[in-house]
Amino acid sequence: MGKKMKLSNMKLISCFLMLFILSGCIGAREINDLEIVIGMGVDKDENPENILLTAQVVKATAGKASENESRGEDSKAFWNVSSRGNSVFDAVRQITHKTGNRLFISHNQAVIFGKDIAKEGLQEYIDFFLRAHEMRPTALILIAEDRASDVLNAKPETEKFPAVNIAKLIKTYGFTSNFYKVNMEDFASCLLNPTKAQLVPLVSIIQDGEYKDVYVSGMVVFKKGKMVSKLTHDDVRGLLWILGKVKSGVIIVPSPNEQGKAVLEIIKAKSKVTPEIKDGKIVMHIKIREESSLSEQTTSENLATNEAFEKIQEASAEVIRKEAMAAFNKSVELNADIFGFGEMLHKKYSKEWKTLKDNWDEIYPTIELNIDVETKIIKTDLLKKPASPSE
Amino acid sequence: MIFIILIYAFIIIINVPGLLKRKEWRELTAFSILYVIALVLGLMYVLDIPIPSPMKGLQHLIVDILGIEYPQG
Amino acid sequence: MSIEKGKISSQQLLFLIAGFVQGSVLLIDFTVGLTEHQTWMVILAALAITTPVVLSYAVLAKRFPGMNLVQINDMVYGRFLGKVVSVYYIFFFLMTLSFNIRDVGELYTTFLMPDTPFVFLLVVFTATCTYAVTKGIEVLARISHLFVVTGIFILISTFIFLIDQMDFSKFLPFFELPFIRIFQGIHIVSMIPFGETVAFLIIMGCLNNTEHVVKNTFFGLLIGAVSLLIGAARNTAVLGRTQTIWTSPSFQSIRLIDIGTVLTRMDFLIGIGQTILIFLKCSLFFYVLVVAISQLLGLKSYLPLVLPLAAIEVIIAATVYQSPVDHTMITQNAGIIYSTPLVFIIPPLSLLIAKIRGLPKSERGKGT
Repeated sequence: MGKKMKLSNMKLISCFLMLFILSGCIGAREINDLEIVIGMGVDKDENPENILLTAQVVKATAGKASENESRGEDSKAFWNVSSRGNSVFDAVRQITHKTGNRLFISHNQAVIFGKDIAKEGLQEYIDFFLRAHEMRPTALILIAEDRASDVLNAKPETEKFPAVNIAKLIKTYGFTSNFYKVNMEDFASCLLNPTKAQLVPLVSIIQDGEYKDVYVSGMVVFKKGKMVSKLTHDDVRGLLWILGKVKSGVIIVPSPNEQGKAVLEIIKAKSKVTPEIKDGKIVMHIKIREESSLSEQTTSENLATNEAFEKIQEASAEVIRKEAMAAFNKSVELNADIFGFGEMLHKKYSKEWKTLKDNWDEIYPTIELNIDVETKIIKTDLLKKPASPSE
Repeated sequence: MIFIILIYAFIIIINVPGLLKRKEWRELTAFSILYVIALVLGLMYVLDIPIPSPMKGLQHLIVDILGIEYPQG
Repeated sequence: MSIEKGKISSQQLLFLIAGFVQGSVLLIDFTVGLTEHQTWMVILAALAITTPVVLSYAVLAKRFPGMNLVQINDMVYGRFLGKVVSVYYIFFFLMTLSFNIRDVGELYTTFLMPDTPFVFLLVVFTATCTYAVTKGIEVLARISHLFVVTGIFILISTFIFLIDQMDFSKFLPFFELPFIRIFQGIHIVSMIPFGETVAFLIIMGCLNNTEHVVKNTFFGLLIGAVSLLIGAARNTAVLGRTQTIWTSPSFQSIRLIDIGTVLTRMDFLIGIGQTILIFLKCSLFFYVLVVAISQLLGLKSYLPLVLPLAAIEVIIAATVYQSPVDHTMITQNAGIIYSTPLVFIIPPLSLLIAKIRGLPKSERGKGT
């Protein structure tokens, strides 16, 4: 009995030891063999056949070096390496000529396309980013006002890496609701959709004294993968009202006594879009419900009264309706279905959609909008009355 | 290449002595037939000789000869 | 005389079937290219069509207690024809097992470990299955409880994690796609997850008590089908239109999980779940294959056949198709057509013949 126990113990121990020797992975890559990419940019090269790919790579010793740096020194924690290639994957592999290691794009936060690529059409260039095994579908997609490599070079103040900074800018769109974030998955979904026009955030650089700052200046309209036009902040907010994606933001209305402004902070906004085909005409019924709080007032008259509220609510509803109509009119001007009205029709009226689909470009401008806005002011923050002598 | 030899030798070592000892001739025959088939296939795989795929044959049979097929796309 | 000395209980049969069907959760991705957002409908329809057929397997097993498929074929169709039918089944098991092993290989080389050579993955996986099979059906049955619970847990948790990214209007419009595609989708789903349960005709011969066979088979099938439905619904709600372009929509939707920046990169969940479930499926198939061949040849035990068959399976899995493209195209056409008689026609026919001929005859005693 003792011998048997010893034998089975031996077997167990040898199995256990084998675990350490036998486990391994052919595809294992150690950290110092990786070039961790946090941002990528694609531009057109001087040679029209090629593209210029810029990859922002994290430098491994970033932590210690940045402690002592002042803004003038050129000790960056990242490295923008670029290469030229005939296709995106080709360029990605060409980068190994400069880095010596394969790029590791799992941590890629954002892919920025230069304006010239966007004008030509993203269909050719997006396939790699969707198909690559390491690429995450949650990476953001952006368009640069001029060249993506410039955007990736602009060194930010509070973040070590421009790409992370830009990604942060996009993800916090809720504060102003002047643009919204688009990731790879959303973009792919819109490319597959024959009628919807996709919007992508537009990043620009402004020269602020000596330093360059990056900011999101609006959104770009894509029709069938090609950049068609730009939308400004206000247009986009109109769009977001209709789609119900407004998270927060500011509405400024003149105060009832015409002597100042009432500033409202949007707390919540919902929208419901119902398509309807009536007598051969397409009507979209849009109901927008919004709640806000009175965040600032510039007159001395107390606006925190029910009568004042009603007037302000009406005024803000009017502002919302104007923004939404403006967005729609702009989209009609561009003949781009940025709201996805086609898709909504498709879901509700699938039989009619089959005939409408092919002529969507002609039909879209004939759509009528029926906007119904209801706003409520539900709080006034910390003041009951403004700080002024009462009459 | 060497893996194949090792694995196949391993298979024989595990199975054959037991079968011989217990004089299970039927089992030994079945084992040998399957073993030879496995050996031939294994060698063909290692020596890069193309192995005919039964499913391609079936596909050919069903689609081309019998004409049963779902429309593509 | 039955080969298998092991016995399993009816409840274990339930879990075995549930785990077996769940193992096909990634195979649903096959049909998504065809049926897009109507995949959930296809699953329900296939369930409705296949349930009576699968229940007929259970009734057949109940009628011939303790006997596995090969013995049943011998009794119903006579010695010669019965053996021909059994060979047809064995070919089906052989091929389907190699497809499943290949699926695991493709899963790993596409998503999880792209640099590893294909054959190594196949060999390692098959070796594990082989080991499980040499231990016998009882062990597999005992483990199936754990696997099924893991599978359900993973499916439900991924569903919950993705709720904020779901948009249920993506299921509209209903009834959009041409019917021939839906029909092909129903054919595929009833053959691949549900129809492969015909393999259980061998395992049901190991039941120690055939009283509750029909009920347990039905519930096992139901649990499996609900798991598939959860998976398909999740993919459609999250991805909507894009699910037709990804190689594996399930994988892609799980990659989108992003909760509080902590719960991200959950790909491993589906890797683990799928590996475990396909392991159960492959071990069961392997067991069925080995027992069927041994029974056909009249051997006393199936053990010596296991290793050579494993080697044959690996080679077939490695060479039968050139790439996933081949795999999909051929399975969607020839693959399901040649196996349709095995699943839908022969077992109910056997039942009918058995009823007419009054088999098993009571004076026959203990089978052959």
